[in-house]
Amino acid sequence: MEREEIKNRIKKVIAKVLEIDESEISDNANFSFDLGASSFQSIRLVAAFQEEFNIEMDEEKSLEVQTVSEAVDFISTYIT
Amino acid sequence: MNYRSLTEAEIGALVSQGCFADNWSDISVKEQFSARNIHNTRFDGKITLGVFSGSIETDQGIGEKCGIYSSCIRNCEIDDNVYISDVRNLTNYLIEENVVIENAGSLTTGDESTFGNGTSIDVLNEGGGRELQIFDRLSSQIAYLAVLYRHDQQFSSSLSAIISDYCETKKRNHGRIESGARIQDTLIIRDVNIGSHARISGINLLEEGTIISCKEAPAIIGEGVIAKKFIILSGSKVDSGTIIDKSFVGQSVKMGKQYSAENSLFFANCEAFHGEGCSVFAGPYTVTHHKSTLMIASLFSFFNAGSGTNQSNHMYKLGPVHQGILERGSKTGSFAYLLLPCHIGAFTVVMGKHYVNFDSSDFPFSYISEEKGKSELTPAMNLFTVGTRRDIDKWPIRDRRRDPDKLDLIHFDLFNPYIVGKIINGINILNELGEKTDKKQDYINYKGINIHRLLLKTTRKYYEMALKLYIGQEIVRRILDLDNNSGITDLRNMLTAQGTDGTGKWVEICGLFSPASKIDDLVLSVKTFKIRSIDELNENLTSIYNNYNKYAWIWCSNLIRQQTGDNPENIPIDSLIQIITDWKTNAIKLNNMILKDAEKEFDSGSKLGFGIDGDVETRDLDFQAVRGVYNNNKFVTNLQKESKEIEVKADRLISILGRCK
Repeated sequence: MEREEIKNRIKKVIAKVLEIDESEISDNANFSFDLGASSFQSIRLVAAFQEEFNIEMDEEKSLEVQTVSEAVDFISTYIT
Repeated sequence: MNYRSLTEAEIGALVSQGCFADNWSDISVKEQFSARNIHNTRFDGKITLGVFSGSIETDQGIGEKCGIYSSCIRNCEIDDNVYISDVRNLTNYLIEENVVIENAGSLTTGDESTFGNGTSIDVLNEGGGRELQIFDRLSSQIAYLAVLYRHDQQFSSSLSAIISDYCETKKRNHGRIESGARIQDTLIIRDVNIGSHARISGINLLEEGTIISCKEAPAIIGEGVIAKKFIILSGSKVDSGTIIDKSFVGQSVKMGKQYSAENSLFFANCEAFHGEGCSVFAGPYTVTHHKSTLMIASLFSFFNAGSGTNQSNHMYKLGPVHQGILERGSKTGSFAYLLLPCHIGAFTVVMGKHYVNFDSSDFPFSYISEEKGKSELTPAMNLFTVGTRRDIDKWPIRDRRRDPDKLDLIHFDLFNPYIVGKIINGINILNELGEKTDKKQDYINYKGINIHRLLLKTTRKYYEMALKLYIGQEIVRRILDLDNNSGITDLRNMLTAQGTDGTGKWVEICGLFSPASKIDDLVLSVKTFKIRSIDELNENLTSIYNNYNKYAWIWCSNLIRQQTGDNPENIPIDSLIQIITDWKTNAIKLNNMILKDAEKEFDSGSKLGFGIDGDVETRDLDFQAVRGVYNNNKFVTNLQKESKEIEVKADRLISILGRCK
């Protein structure tokens, strides 16, 4: 799967979970500061990414992901 | 002790020193009595006096000559070396040696009193039905059984009879002020027993109560307190305008800053300031510090109330009859509201306002939040927060009880058969919900609360981590003494569980973790009159408490057998190595997740408002000066150290086990 496709799907998931417009999500947006994700929403995002890509992410490492681009990098390691 | 009548010379001396008595022959004195230190005092009724010699130090550190000065004494027995000065009315009291009573209004006992023992309070259900008679040997365990085991009427009435019998033994027509007590600058004390070394100063009113106190743990009752129908136990400090009505204050409780409590129980190490408690069952370590915080009609323990916390127990139908259960370790955020009845699982954080009734008891370590007006549950999330870990570390350290006779039995283990049993329930329920929920469905409502479908799988994994951690931790705890000389027999012996007590369901009896079967046995013993007294009841509960490790290992062994097919002592070495490897991995992973949560306390979001008039560099310097840096934070370094120790411990045991193969 191309990185661009992963990123687009990630943004769709973020938009749905955080209930924001996809166009507001920049590549380097921080989930917490820029997109307003609460701790609960962060866990829900992890769960949504897992479902979207049908992967099982490491619990510890997934919590280290802070930005959209980091999420793309991290999820890519499970797909490619 | 032999007493004699006053001699004519002594009466003469007393009269010349401004003393007065209706009938001097009603006064008996000890053989060595001297009238020298008794001045301006009126005696009425039967009086016995000890020997007043030397001096005694008051609370202000002033050395005063022992004796009785400017006071009015009626029907009192006064032991040696007291200092009683400016007491307007001291009636029907036994005063032990070395007591100071100074500048007091009245201290009186009426015809007969049980001194607060036997006061019936409407705890948990404000409308009644769970009444409890408070008494001065009440523990959180006895209270729990008396208040919550109403399903068994025979037990309930037998236990009530035991308590009534005990309270009846407290009935006296004289109050007692025990040795070393200090009572100063007080207004009215009526029908109150005051324990040894208690410090009472500046109170407005104490009525129908008992203050248990001892040298190691003096009770302190301070300024402006108004207390009626109460029991206050050793080591407690109640001051600054607290108002208590029909309430029990357990060992080493702090209560003050105008807190008001009615029909409530507060057990060991509770702290209650500013707010209001009404029909509250506050188990050990319940803390409420803020104004506008109401705790009502609920069971709490190891609880922390955020400011403005509130619950409703009244739906304007049949009265204030609803109850709440907030299990051990729960917390409420600022202005959290709960509509009772509701049941919150252990170690759960409640944020926001909740207008529905729900039961989250199958999901310990959860977050309950309000999302667009609806109540949502995020299971297992509180497993890896800094707050939970800090709480677990601090509670044992903050056990302030210094009384050698500790009444509440408190276990501190985070992972124990009761909580792990709940975790297993949680795993099974999440699994079941996951299997039957359509992917198109966003939310599932479980027992009144919403869970987002996406969370079912992820949070189940968190619980599974905790389960692996528990099993490994229990095995490691038992084989720690293995060394290079140990053989397979040593290993088997260490892992063999003795007996069957501990299998099956566990319960938490307000601080005490116990196999349910042991509590059933105790209930039966009360019903069949094998247990007939409070002392016997406490002995039985203490026995359960002392056998906790044994019972817990039996439960864990059973769990290991269910999970692996083998008893721990028969598990193949490779499986044992796998369990320890899983423990290492998950314990370190959990610590790292907690550290990740701690890291948030040092990120740029946490620096908001710092460096108030400067730039980013000023902000960082200000933050560093006030909060320090992540890498030097004590909590952080301790957890990092613990992870290293886990690794070393696990690797050593795996290496030894490898040689046992």
